[in-house]
Amino acid sequence: MGAKFDIRYVFEYFVKLLPYIQISLFIVASSIVLGLVFGLLAAIPRLYRVPVLQRLSQVYASFFRGTPILIQLFLFYYGLPEVLKLIHIDVTRFPVLVFVILVYGLHSGAYVSEGIRAAVTAVDRGQVEAAYAVGMSGFKAFTRIVFPQALAIAVPILANLVIATLKDTSLAFTLGVMELTGKAQTLPTMSRHFIESYIALAAIYFIVSVVLERLFLLVERRMLKHERETGNADRVPLGKKWLKKRTNAGLALSKGGTRA
Amino acid sequence: MIRLQGIRKAFGKNEVLKGIDLTVDKGEVVAILGPSGSGKTTLLRCINYLEKPSDGEISIDEFAVNCRKPAKKDIHALRRKTAMVFQQYNLFRHKTALENVMEGLVVVKKLPKAEARQKSVELLEKVGLGDKLDAYPSQLSGGQQQRVGIARALALNPEVILFDEPTSALDPELVGEVLAVIRKIAKEGITMIIVTHEMSFAQEVANHIVFMEGGAVVEEGPPKTIFQSPKEERTRQFLARFTSDSAYSI
Repeated sequence: MGAKFDIRYVFEYFVKLLPYIQISLFIVASSIVLGLVFGLLAAIPRLYRVPVLQRLSQVYASFFRGTPILIQLFLFYYGLPEVLKLIHIDVTRFPVLVFVILVYGLHSGAYVSEGIRAAVTAVDRGQVEAAYAVGMSGFKAFTRIVFPQALAIAVPILANLVIATLKDTSLAFTLGVMELTGKAQTLPTMSRHFIESYIALAAIYFIVSVVLERLFLLVERRMLKHERETGNADRVPLGKKWLKKRTNAGLALSKGGTRA
Repeated sequence: MIRLQGIRKAFGKNEVLKGIDLTVDKGEVVAILGPSGSGKTTLLRCINYLEKPSDGEISIDEFAVNCRKPAKKDIHALRRKTAMVFQQYNLFRHKTALENVMEGLVVVKKLPKAEARQKSVELLEKVGLGDKLDAYPSQLSGGQQQRVGIARALALNPEVILFDEPTSALDPELVGEVLAVIRKIAKEGITMIIVTHEMSFAQEVANHIVFMEGGAVVEEGPPKTIFQSPKEERTRQFLARFTSDSAYSI
């Protein structure tokens, strides 16, 4: 059991934990970037129904979505070096962070691939037909017409993923990474004020999540600006100002991706 | 000149086009009429390969595509020589009216941006939307969207513009403005093939009427002949409903 509750420790630990946001966010950012790459690579064979790759991508997605991330961390951190040893590649000296980011990247990639697939399918078929009719190649039609629209639809999915990943990074401490949770575990070892530390930790996660949520909402609004009916297009400049006000007030309708 | 020879199309065992022959001269406006399910939209979509014909030949001037074994580049070339106006407009939703018209010019025709912009502005002014350049499709009415669609088709300077029931999705009060634009460009000698249910419009604008049913052409000819003295009984039946329309109106 810890020491008697003392609220001052909450503030003290809160301040002491702040610098470690960096590491957590670094893990989130790099694994999301990695996840976007993996996700796109995995989504394409399924969108275009490439025979063998399609299956592989399905297996990939269902493995990473179907097993706990904690187990994935263990498997990769303890298992991968052993496997690679068989082909004479030594990764045992690699920093832990490399494994952590790889696992989180693969994990989020599985969700990204599902998200991209759903978003691309949600773009109206007529958009592709119009692109073809204009004379575009399949590639141009995808990159210029379908993908930008799918991306806008996928923003809320991505936002969820980023926030989920942020919270998942709290498991990286099990491999000894000194991120927020790891630090929050070690800070009170002397004082025994664990609960205070956890409260400070929860507050930090919460604040960062809320900030991220807000940021994504702004991005979403921006990317879906074309789906907003102002009713009277003559008044676009005025209307834009008005809409901005509404956005700031948090009143604007959330159009989401339903109006493909 | 556009020539379709023996165009066939089957969805599984269901043959929707049973060998269609059609010739459209340069500057001609052809209206394709017929009941729903007669294959007229499918035929139109075969011309730019949005629908893959199972047999036949499509030729535009000297350029010909054998539908049995079309090369990818032939399909591409066919699409560059044609343009389409869709029933559901299908404007690029994430682009403004101006960007919609510019897109093909910049991406496909590789025109410099400034030039593409100037041409697009002119076209949008022509269809009466000079004041909506920066509006997104979601901010435009159906009639306005369709006029942008027509400007987008015109911009490509195609050999033929294919109209797929351009007014069917519109509120009745918006049909007029779209038909007015089509009428205007028809006078400029642009070759057009129009699938429509607007009989009086077809009669007025087209030089040539094609009546289809059950995946085959039943009868074709100048509007006067088709509307006033059709040879086929089926054509007469179909048009009778239209010519006696006024009798039903409330």
